Amino acid sequence: MTTAIAINGVSMEYVTPEGTTHVLDNVSYEVSEGSFVAIVGPSGVGKTTLLRLLSGLQKPTAGEILIRGERISGPPAGLAVVLQDYTRSLMPWLTVERNIALPLKNQKLSKADRSERIESSLEEVGLSGQGGKYPWQMSGGMQQRASIARALAVRPSILVMDEPFASVDAQTRFDLEDLVLKVRDDFGITTLMVTHDIDEAVYLSDEIVVLHGRPAKVRDVVTVDIPFPRSQIQTRNAPRFAELRTHVYAMVRGLE
Amino acid sequence: MPAVLRRIPAGMLSAVVALIVWQIIGSVGPLAGDSFATATEAISALWVLVREATFWLAFWETVQMAAIGFAISMVIAIPLGMLIGLSRFSYRSSKFTFDFLKVIPPIVLIPIAILVIGPTLAMGVALVVFANVFSMAIQTAYGVRDADPVLLETMRCFRMGLAKQIRYARLPSAAVQIGIGMRLALAASLVVAVVAGLVGGAGGLGTFLALTQSAGNADDTYAVILFLGAIGVALSRLLVRGHRRLVFWVGR
Repeated sequence: MTTAIAINGVSMEYVTPEGTTHVLDNVSYEVSEGSFVAIVGPSGVGKTTLLRLLSGLQKPTAGEILIRGERISGPPAGLAVVLQDYTRSLMPWLTVERNIALPLKNQKLSKADRSERIESSLEEVGLSGQGGKYPWQMSGGMQQRASIARALAVRPSILVMDEPFASVDAQTRFDLEDLVLKVRDDFGITTLMVTHDIDEAVYLSDEIVVLHGRPAKVRDVVTVDIPFPRSQIQTRNAPRFAELRTHVYAMVRGLE
Repeated sequence: MPAVLRRIPAGMLSAVVALIVWQIIGSVGPLAGDSFATATEAISALWVLVREATFWLAFWETVQMAAIGFAISMVIAIPLGMLIGLSRFSYRSSKFTFDFLKVIPPIVLIPIAILVIGPTLAMGVALVVFANVFSMAIQTAYGVRDADPVLLETMRCFRMGLAKQIRYARLPSAAVQIGIGMRLALAASLVVAVVAGLVGGAGGLGTFLALTQSAGNADDTYAVILFLGAIGVALSRLLVRGHRRLVFWVGR
């Protein structure tokens, strides 16, 4: 399988008046095209820092990140993000439709193509015909669906999600998990997700990257050998699911 | 509470109480006498005044000073505040000076303004501009800086450049602060325009007040004050409503 993202010996240090904080130490990992990868680790370990480096918001102090062989030096084309805090990442002064339309202005699309993109993205996330609403007129789950629709509308090859379901209720969370699996199936998007929920990581991923230590290193990469399609009821009850989550949990807690 | 009272809006009730207290102070004591007008005297004097052309002419001059001064200060302060707010360095370095300038009461500049410009409408306009421009610029800059960093980073991830960040994130979030600033500034403009006339002889209702005062006409003096108060309340109501419309998403 071809490599979509290559993280080569990435280290990250923050220099503050109080001293230097070494967050990531020589992190290397390759993401295969079209795979679903979860990044887990204890809180404060540097998961979000790694995502920020991947989305080009910051530059690593050492090492490099390649997307399809090209070193990134800023937010790369073909990358879309979904963040935890949908109330802050969607614009309350624009309707959902216009929120989705905004990133599309970078792509030279005809008016018809653009509205087709918006409508099909809304349909994909189950928000058909709701584009005229403002985000604050929607429930939390619907707002996060809208964020996902905005990401899909740019037709990304890489989707980066930072704790995307941490602010919605448990029921909605299951629905949204199944939604991102469907999206991955429909578009073959390479997906990276940071989560603190180990069950969620096992349920969604092909591979789980476990970060551990200060500064954080890749503790292990766990291959989730549970076949797709997965189901909230069967998959989560499978003995293999329990084994994997116990294994990953023990590593995150530093017990293994 | 009796049913009759319940039908009166709460705001009206306190106004009625204030008028009664005013009436008692002015007729029974401690301010009974010719130099102080009672509520009824002031209201009936106002009733006469509103049918006189000179009163409306004076009012129009005050409105001109306030409105032109307000407009000029907005045209200067909003773009200036935007520029200042765009960089953290320029915001931090200007904030001290602007905070200093904005607390200087415009009235202390009247002697200088009379010397430089003379007791004219233009002087009133200049004072109104001075009263507003610094606080408005700082308010705008604060609004620009107040844009949510999460939103700005999301926009960067989607490769939306600085121009789009200003247009779609910094401006709307500044609009909240600009709206608040405009509300305060318009009220201040009216006050300063009156003071410019009262103390600086710039004309308008301020000068009208000064004349009635020196003529010992307490009824007219208080009639004008009553009128100014009513205008102030109406203006502020209007602006609150306008601001809510402008930033309709706030508080949702």
